[in-house]
Amino acid sequence: MGDLLAPANTIEVLLGNEAVARGALEAGLNVAAAYPGTPSTEIGEALAKVAKRVGIYFEWSANEKVATEVAMGAAWSGLKALTMMKHVGFNVASDAIFTLAYAGVTGAMVIVSADDPHAHSSQNEQDNRHYSESVGLPMLEPSNPQEAKDFTKEAFELSSRYRIPVMVRTTTRISHQRGPVRLGEIKAGFSKGKFVPPEPDRYLQVGAIARKHHAELLGKLKEISLDVAPSYTKVEGASDAEFGVITSGVAYAHAKEALKLVNVDAKILKLGMTFPLPKKSIGEFLSSVNTALIVEELDPYLEMRVKVIAKDYAPEVEILGKLTGHMPRVGEYTMRTVLEGLSKALGVAPPVNFAEIDRRSSEILKKVPPRPPVLCPACPHRSTGYALRRAAGRAAFMGDIGCYALLFQKPFRVEHVTHAMGSSIGLANGIDVATDQDVVALIGDSTFFHAGIPALINAVHNKRKMTVVIMDNRITAMTGHQPHPGTEVNAVGDEAPAIDIEKIVRSIGVDYVKVVDPYDHAATEKAIREALKHDGVSVVITKRECALLTVAKLRRQGQKIVPYRVNPDKCTYCRVCINTFACPAFVDTGSLVEIDPTVCFGCGACVPVCPYGAFEPQEGSLNWREQKIGV
Amino acid sequence: MSVREFNVIVAGVGGQGILFTTNVIARAALKLGLNFAQSEVHGLSQRYGSIRTELRIGSDVSSPLILEGTLDLLIALEPLEGLRQSPYISERTTVVMNNHVIPPVGAYLERFPIPSFDEILELMRSLNPKKIMVLNAYDIAKKAGDYIVANTVMLGAAQATGVLPFPEGVLREALEEVSPSRYRDLNLRAFDLGRESVSPPR
Repeated sequence: MGDLLAPANTIEVLLGNEAVARGALEAGLNVAAAYPGTPSTEIGEALAKVAKRVGIYFEWSANEKVATEVAMGAAWSGLKALTMMKHVGFNVASDAIFTLAYAGVTGAMVIVSADDPHAHSSQNEQDNRHYSESVGLPMLEPSNPQEAKDFTKEAFELSSRYRIPVMVRTTTRISHQRGPVRLGEIKAGFSKGKFVPPEPDRYLQVGAIARKHHAELLGKLKEISLDVAPSYTKVEGASDAEFGVITSGVAYAHAKEALKLVNVDAKILKLGMTFPLPKKSIGEFLSSVNTALIVEELDPYLEMRVKVIAKDYAPEVEILGKLTGHMPRVGEYTMRTVLEGLSKALGVAPPVNFAEIDRRSSEILKKVPPRPPVLCPACPHRSTGYALRRAAGRAAFMGDIGCYALLFQKPFRVEHVTHAMGSSIGLANGIDVATDQDVVALIGDSTFFHAGIPALINAVHNKRKMTVVIMDNRITAMTGHQPHPGTEVNAVGDEAPAIDIEKIVRSIGVDYVKVVDPYDHAATEKAIREALKHDGVSVVITKRECALLTVAKLRRQGQKIVPYRVNPDKCTYCRVCINTFACPAFVDTGSLVEIDPTVCFGCGACVPVCPYGAFEPQEGSLNWREQKIGV
Repeated sequence: MSVREFNVIVAGVGGQGILFTTNVIARAALKLGLNFAQSEVHGLSQRYGSIRTELRIGSDVSSPLILEGTLDLLIALEPLEGLRQSPYISERTTVVMNNHVIPPVGAYLERFPIPSFDEILELMRSLNPKKIMVLNAYDIAKKAGDYIVANTVMLGAAQATGVLPFPEGVLREALEEVSPSRYRDLNLRAFDLGRESVSPPR
């Protein structure tokens, strides 16, 4: 919503991620590359939208490692480069990043890691502050959208000054926090750089050269810890208070308000740079209090390091946090988490009667049916899941990362595994080696390009017997519809060569390959049955674009979305539709099934599901399969 | 103008326009130069599941998350999702609730009973909010031209409660600014109808 290019010195509403993008533009960004991943995606989306207008280069890359290398290439050619990824995306990129710290850059490079405490949209709660320390790259942690912009801009300045990449770590509540941001001048643009290694061995990391560069890196980090980290610390509150809180990121925002609510004299040490730490600033803060509570999400990263610093500066000070059981280690922090921890540390009752709130609301919540995310109405994955259940119900199903991970739910239950990008096919290799079971790997188009191809090559070469279902919905859907190497346009909307998944699969040597429209349930089922019988690696590509894209296109064309209806004379209330297809538009009235017209997209995919033909179009309804809409 | 703390939750089912609704309120806050922090949901968790955005307006605000029991305005685009916010609802809460229940399809498979709207309203009343306003936002939206603007109808109704810390007119102007051009007139019509059609306070 925010105008990323609003003029300097105005205040604009920006999402934390948009603020990161704006900060990069203000720093003079030239090149950015990323693979989408929640909660980092909107940084790239924001840059993609303005790339042509401000003259920067932006691409959605095949995966995070490639994105990092694209940015590195630019930063080694004297340009200012940015790459951003979700916390687990960093794992993919890390092979390149570890050695990059030794190599450094000639231009500037910023790496944004967007962590997801609470695993809102992720498979784990990995804490990437550890990466910063083990890679050896400085890390800035903003605590609101304004700082997200400012710190990103400053990260580029630091990177130029010290000739090493700088990390910016956000978490979901920063990335997806919208707030007022005061803007500075945009300086971004693109001009060609030149790849000239500053010394002949600068980019040749091996043996003695690597050791030399390692020592050099440690020297830079020491300098940064003394000269830069202290300027990112802020002490607030009553200077004579004996109780202190050490915190950073969004936890600071919670702690600041929580301290006001408990109404106790206290002070806060806020850290903006969490690696390398400002040892002296922390030491002096510790010497000024009797007790310090560490308020940080996920791992006791600060807590453990603060304890080490306390040994030198204030061995008597009591340090409380996760290790002492005052703060939780699992899940994200909320105002409540912080208030409870703080009250426990201070030995006072929380200022809010949480027990009473829990008592009152738990009675009510017991009566509210859970509503986990489900596949959208008209989602092609629902049809693929339906066919898989019928055709391959007893197989071992290796799932992957994408919306289709929701097929683990009833009534489909065709995902026994959701693990890491591309793992479906790799795991299917292993399960086939180890068992006599039928094995099915389910993977999306974008995930296939990201990390699925090597595992498929591996399967063919090692003569595995397995079926791979590539659910090609023509876009990176889960993160909000970013193009990928298989789409006809690139990140900035230009025409691009679309890499053909079927051709890749055939070129690898898979000899059973079928492409079907998943809405054609009979054909999809038949293909899956044949594939399972095939002696070797078989691939079924279920190809139909994400329904949200189809609906958006139809609406843009001025086409009215007319829902389907249930003919009450034909519905026998057998509930086969709910029990096998479970479209969120289905409503069970207790005597009939109906379609909720506010939810139905009018696709017609449910029509073949009813044994009595009760699903009917209304005047103006489309039939996406027959009319070839979305394929 | 000065506001110390005003907390809003917009709750509903992914796809109902929850984020847009909240963005309009945030834009109004920006127009008035107020401080605010808004938390929203993106990614997988937004796919037809429970969604809520939290918006906190005021000079005392630094956390983007609302403390239990301190909600001032609940806009429930779907009533079950409104009820799901019960830990946040207290005597200081004004509730604006759409009466159209969207049953979670998973509940049928788990044989979880789905309360009727009347039962939902009764449970909501048991939380003693300051005020509850109920409207049939989809019907009103259809009158405005398309059921997809039910969220804007709810926004108009929220304005009509008078609890928002904005002078008359600012929210409507914010809506005009934030609306994509092809939905602008439709949205404004829906907003006005929503404002006029609030059922009387209980």
